Amino acid sequence: MRTLVILTALAALAGCAADPAAPARAAERFHAAVAAQQDEAACGMLARKTAARLPDPGQSCAEALRELKLGPGGKVVSVSVWGDEAQVRLAGDTLFLHRFSDGWRIKAAGCKPERDLPYDCEVED
Amino acid sequence: MKWLKENSLALAFMIMFLLAVGGQAVAGYLQFNDVQRAEGADPISLLQYVSSSTFAVDVTENWQSEYLQFFLFIMFTVWLVQKGSPESKEPHKIGAESDKDQQIGEHADEHSPKWARVKGLRLWLYSNSLGLTMGIIFLLSWLAQSVAGQAAYNSERLSDLRDPVSWGAYVTSPEFWDRSLQNWQSELLAVLSMVVLSIYLRQRGSPESKPVGAAHSSTGVEG
Repeated sequence: MRTLVILTALAALAGCAADPAAPARAAERFHAAVAAQQDEAACGMLARKTAARLPDPGQSCAEALRELKLGPGGKVVSVSVWGDEAQVRLAGDTLFLHRFSDGWRIKAAGCKPERDLPYDCEVED
Repeated sequence: MKWLKENSLALAFMIMFLLAVGGQAVAGYLQFNDVQRAEGADPISLLQYVSSSTFAVDVTENWQSEYLQFFLFIMFTVWLVQKGSPESKEPHKIGAESDKDQQIGEHADEHSPKWARVKGLRLWLYSNSLGLTMGIIFLLSWLAQSVAGQAAYNSERLSDLRDPVSWGAYVTSPEFWDRSLQNWQSELLAVLSMVVLSIYLRQRGSPESKPVGAAHSSTGVEG
């Protein structure tokens, strides 16, 4: 019985105990870099797969990011963290992040909701 | 040595349980990291895996169905019978039975548990303690499944660039009921098989079976 109570608590912790501040900071830093046209730095904050998929052939990640002209992020509105995945809603954008061993990285940005379907994102893996 | 022999059934199941849950943890961990690598994510440690919602939901969804099975079996066999089955009591004994048959109150003897010799709430609680415990463990493990399941499901949804869902939305989702019902159906089929097959088939020496020579029509007889 005690094991089950502990398990319930652990299960709750597995979903709720993650720190929402870290992915929020990562999302804000990404948009700050984009706004300051520090596209190389912004590319460095992307997940490896996302950064690899972003540029067209012969293009660098920074060039591809600059071309997208992502709008301003704005203030953090809400953060959802479940396991190693997070969604950060900013006033002007919604981002999806994944926690890697070196911290939170942007998986998708410039995302618009599509009812209950996956978000339609300008940058995604 | 005598203690080992007298507790060999519980010990055997305890050892097999630990080996199986350990094996599940290792197999699940290898599978999880295989998917992680395919998705470009970092592999995690075994400790991280066994404290993850993915492992918790896989464990608890099986636990809840097992305890539900035993809860239903214990409660239904008070009121329902199956003629010819050693898992059932005889049809004339349907119900909670008399105090004399149950050796409670003034019918208790010096070896009866203390709470079987008293009256009131303690007697009621003790009289229903097996069903209550199984029922409570079922509800707690089902609750744990729902909490861990929501976390695992939301992690998957976020990974697919979809919005996470609330606990209320999760417990009314096809995902939650698919996980629950796929376990329930197998448990119910197993009990049905045991109740019916034990009418006609025998396992010599097992108390789960009637004696080999017992008639198919004899009910509530253990071998």
